[in-house]
Amino acid sequence: MFWRFVIGAVKFRRRRLVLAFAGLAVAATLATTLFSVYSDIERKMRREFRGYGANILVAPAGDSQTVPLEAVAEAERLGAAAAAFVYTVGRVGDERVVVAGVDFRRAEPLTSYWQIAGARTAAAGECLAGSALAAHFHLSIGQSVALASGACVIRGIVTSGDTEDSQLFVPFERAARDAGFQNAASVVQVRADGQRIGQVRAALARALPAADVRVLHAIAETEANVVLKVRTTVFLLTTLILAITTLCVTGNFSALVIERSKEIGLLKAIGAAEAKIATLFLSESLVLALISSVAGYAAGLAVAYAIGRSVFTAAAHASPAGVNFAVFLPVALVTLLVAAVATLIAASRIWRIEPAVILRGE
Amino acid sequence: MAIGAVALGSAVATAMLGAMLDVGDRVNRELRSLGANLIVTPKSAALPVEIGGIRYQPAAKDEFIPEALVPKIKSIFWQLNITALAPVLRAQTEIGGRETPVDGVWFLRNFRAPDGTRVTTGLRALNATWKVEGRWVDDPNPSDRSAECVAGAAVARRLGLRPGATLELFGEPFTVTGILATGGEEEDRIFLRLEVLQRLTGRAGQVDSIQVGALTKPEDAFARKNPSQMNPVEYDRWYCTPYVSSIAHQIEETLPMAVARPIRRVADNEGRVLTRIRGLMLLISLAALATAALTVWSVMATTVLERRYEIAIMQATGAGNWLVAVLFGAEVAIQGAIGGLIGAVAGVQLSNWVSQSVFGVRAEAPALLAPLVVVVAVAIALAGAAQPLRRALALEPAVMLREGA
Repeated sequence: MFWRFVIGAVKFRRRRLVLAFAGLAVAATLATTLFSVYSDIERKMRREFRGYGANILVAPAGDSQTVPLEAVAEAERLGAAAAAFVYTVGRVGDERVVVAGVDFRRAEPLTSYWQIAGARTAAAGECLAGSALAAHFHLSIGQSVALASGACVIRGIVTSGDTEDSQLFVPFERAARDAGFQNAASVVQVRADGQRIGQVRAALARALPAADVRVLHAIAETEANVVLKVRTTVFLLTTLILAITTLCVTGNFSALVIERSKEIGLLKAIGAAEAKIATLFLSESLVLALISSVAGYAAGLAVAYAIGRSVFTAAAHASPAGVNFAVFLPVALVTLLVAAVATLIAASRIWRIEPAVILRGE
Repeated sequence: MAIGAVALGSAVATAMLGAMLDVGDRVNRELRSLGANLIVTPKSAALPVEIGGIRYQPAAKDEFIPEALVPKIKSIFWQLNITALAPVLRAQTEIGGRETPVDGVWFLRNFRAPDGTRVTTGLRALNATWKVEGRWVDDPNPSDRSAECVAGAAVARRLGLRPGATLELFGEPFTVTGILATGGEEEDRIFLRLEVLQRLTGRAGQVDSIQVGALTKPEDAFARKNPSQMNPVEYDRWYCTPYVSSIAHQIEETLPMAVARPIRRVADNEGRVLTRIRGLMLLISLAALATAALTVWSVMATTVLERRYEIAIMQATGAGNWLVAVLFGAEVAIQGAIGGLIGAVAGVQLSNWVSQSVFGVRAEAPALLAPLVVVVAVAIALAGAAQPLRRALALEPAVMLREGA
């Protein structure tokens, strides 16, 4: 009998319920979207900051001119990207040029801001030229540079707007050999995960007492600052939007009860207990809320996925952009809670309804 | 109830739009603390041979930017987007048995821009995150009589310097007022006031480079086109958009002896991070706006649905469909307007609150936002009411009234 009432309510007042359902489902969609975006925002924003390159520098300390090459292996063991660089002065004809030795494969994630025409890496006997250097010597890709220590063929032209523009890049081993470095580099650049930067720095400093391990404060602090601020903004907006949508849904559900004062009067007149009637309405709302939260969750995941895909670079190995299955529980709970509270607030009227008055009047 | 719903919906919409329009600018300013995104250097015939600030080949004597022309950078078309600039003179001297770069700079200088406004700028304005142990050299006005300097942390460690120590540079004693720790190659340098280094090196009125910080629009496909191959319309559009490349171009027009280059590490990443944040905010806003619109729509539809009897009675007593429609339309429009107005006012407050608590400043929401939200609220309310109203009007009043008995 009880469930016949509930099912009957759903069946006969379809249009009214569709509206209530739609309202709640939209709220659940929004909640899922915002929770998903929020739970993922920090990771995503930090990934965008990787483009700034190194955030830790291992530089020679004191009177030393070099840092031990084991810094690279040590940093990689700590889960950071690292690359060694050697800088020497070479000769092209009778002019001096800065020759940089680069471990191209390792340096790639740290130098993603280099704008490169041609290839990004150079093998033995090959090199990359900075744009100012290339313009100065009238060089283009495929031509050979008569470097005093041995000619090399240009594979790419690098533009960075910085000192790189006037350098010649050769494979690390060659530059180290020319400079007479044994298992050493001029500098080692390290990119640690923004949250673990202090930890990685401390571990590196412990492992390499002879070197000067420094955090690039500007990059580390700006990253932390911007990530925090964007996260807080999204959080505040999420709270705000959810609070306001909740208010709307509450109104909607209260209307469901208030509208049916006449039926309530009738039920009371034929002897139904108030608590029983309230349970009736509550179950109706909860059934509705459950369906809404499932529908809203599905829709919300789709929206969050779309946002993740269209806003952030989709890395091949990353989880599906922005989809977080763990948000279903909070969303369902919030939806059920909102529906229940809204219904109960309205249901308090049941006790006050006088059957005689309500049934006689308009 | 209807007014309340419209007000809530409009509040969400206004708050979202306000926050969305604001966050991009705020983050842009935040990112500007990463230092210069443009560097201006003299046109040079020679290739700089420089490692870590040490020159291995002396620069040509006639290659410099006259210091007198530095303020002209603040007279370009996008002058208001130039947030900071710092002229630098480079030199090197032997300290403790090693060649050490010495930079003559503006730390934080008051100077008068060509349009008469007073601006405070320099190295510290450009690099807001830089901190010194001790204090900075104070240089509000030009003066070549100063015996103070700031030492990079690596230099200080090598020589065992503390704030207050004395250091001999170019044969003159200097007091180290502060130790600068940035993590970067600035740590290997000594910083003096620009005029002092000009006097010591005999290069009065000359600078070697100008670092410029500019608020820019992220580069898109259009910005990467070669300006010399654009048609006049495209060129105007490019010129009048604050891309880093067009600002560089305008600086070169003003300083014909110089080359302005975007520093890709800063400029490109800044653009990328900003694009992401703007895109994210836009999509969250769209989701919230769609929700707000749906809510208003559904509430309005419910309101009309509930009043079918009234409509039937009006029709039964001889009111034409048009009259009823206009009557209800006016009512819904008024509800929409009042709700929209309340919501817009509340929404502006909310977006201010968000901006205040995240960035510590009030949001700069455009004045047009509130009226726009009210208009949209009315439109959506009317749209929500239209369909159920049409259905109600199409029904026979007799049928409706009997059903309701």
